[in-house]
Amino acid sequence: MLQKPRGRGRPSGQSEREKDWGRGGDCRAARGGVAEEAPSTSRGVGGSSQGARRAEASPAVGPRSQQQLELKVAELVQFLLIKDQKKIPIKRSDILKHVIGDYRDIFPNLLKLAAERLEYVFGYKLVELEPKSNSYILINSLEPVEEDAELRGDQGTPTTGLLMIVLGLIFMKGNTIKETEVWDFLRRLGVFPAKKHLIFGDPKKLITEDFVRQRYLEYRPIPHTDPVDYEFQWGPRTNLETSKMKVLKFVAKVHKQDPKDWPAQYCEALADEEARARPQTVGAAPSVGTAEGRRGKGTG
Amino acid sequence: MQGGTRRVGTMTDVHRRFLQLLMTHGVLEEGDVKRLQKHCYKVHDCNAPVEKLEDFINNINSVLESLYIEIKKGVTEDDGRPIYALVNLATTPISKMASDFAENELDLFRKALELIIDSETGFASSTNILNLVDQLKGKKMRKKEAEHVLQKFVQNKWLIEKEGDFTLHSRAILEMEQYIRETHPEAMKICNICHSLLIQGQSCDTCGIRMHLPCVAKYFQASSEPRCPNCNDYWPHEIPEVFDPEKHREAAISRPSKKPSRSRQH
Repeated sequence: MLQKPRGRGRPSGQSEREKDWGRGGDCRAARGGVAEEAPSTSRGVGGSSQGARRAEASPAVGPRSQQQLELKVAELVQFLLIKDQKKIPIKRSDILKHVIGDYRDIFPNLLKLAAERLEYVFGYKLVELEPKSNSYILINSLEPVEEDAELRGDQGTPTTGLLMIVLGLIFMKGNTIKETEVWDFLRRLGVFPAKKHLIFGDPKKLITEDFVRQRYLEYRPIPHTDPVDYEFQWGPRTNLETSKMKVLKFVAKVHKQDPKDWPAQYCEALADEEARARPQTVGAAPSVGTAEGRRGKGTG
Repeated sequence: MQGGTRRVGTMTDVHRRFLQLLMTHGVLEEGDVKRLQKHCYKVHDCNAPVEKLEDFINNINSVLESLYIEIKKGVTEDDGRPIYALVNLATTPISKMASDFAENELDLFRKALELIIDSETGFASSTNILNLVDQLKGKKMRKKEAEHVLQKFVQNKWLIEKEGDFTLHSRAILEMEQYIRETHPEAMKICNICHSLLIQGQSCDTCGIRMHLPCVAKYFQASSEPRCPNCNDYWPHEIPEVFDPEKHREAAISRPSKKPSRSRQH
């Protein structure tokens, strides 16, 4: 089965239309099959000038057909997959503008269905970056394995190594670190802020701009410093995609030591593990899809 | 595809990892797809027998159907190597590129696409493409930048470059066939054998019908005196060889910088 309507408890005040859609699993039966017959309900992502394949005016109100709704979920899934490739959190307003359009009234439902499919079909969890942030990211539920990178071949992966080093450094130094310390450390590894690196390109931009925009790192000026110095902390994506324990294990592996060789960090990581294992307090769950959405894995 | 009657398959982590990795590539040759499949089995379930690739992909496609996504199989237009791409059927293919490219860059692609489709050979020269940079929508683009953008299209497997000329990558053909049929119904060319979109191929000097090179190869495989399937006149081109995976593997091993040096025909 594509998806079981897993006990989707629904407040009773919802419209007939929504209930229909909620049955999700059997909507396939209504579909005549091939995609050519499918009316596109939106102009897609930014391709507006190319436009509206068989533009069918989607009704502003009134019942939507199963097919229209299914297509809308499909568009939403594709939009999220495409946007996630850049690793920049996806804004709710962008989703509304580019995909949802006239379907705004059932947005939460569409998002939930899209989240279910993303997880069932692709193994990605859709989670809100931070509570009430109105931006979303996809977290890979599959543990990364080393050969993946090999098979993947191309871009993306080498920078993950550098990111892990910086994350490790931040954690080992008590969760906040001055930028100057980061560069002092990286210089020893042959990575210089102002020098183009064979693999990382412009390391300064990668660390202080790209990783920051992707929300792996927080980067801010330290007050009352002259000349101004900056500091780093973990960003919200890091907490979702990986954990203190995983980063500590990475650091230990690099040093060919045991995580317990750093007792303070080890205790902190353990406490973090325990906190993650506890059920979410109400209101803090950032997950859109399933209740356990916060447990991210890997550094994708 | 048989519409609604088909059984919907089951996804496991093997399938999911396979999809994730296929997605990062966009397009893969058959050998790489098989390697990928084996890898995913190994990661998640060492003991399960590796399903036949065709069944494996059919299973995934049955699930993808409701998402208007499909793993499509095709062959390269020049030498008929089988390839697989994850294509999307719900939104326009240009929108898939929209996250990687700016408006003026997308317009450059559209312009290049038009030139390629309108051309006799299926190739557009970089000069001709670059001459259109002044007409692009969005931010102004200089020729130097446009050259760089064209290279980006090549890297992302939307275009192929051969000696300064550009044609569509097989991935783009798989993804964009429907779109091209809708937007360029007059200009697009169809293969007389397989009736799919044709960008590069051979054509009959007498009646003008066209055929993909791999289709030519198969169609004339056994004939000593090739004749046009439409007008029966003598077929005036060199008949390419049918793609042979065995041979290709050997060639790939002895010459790892695989670059099939085929002469261009039309």
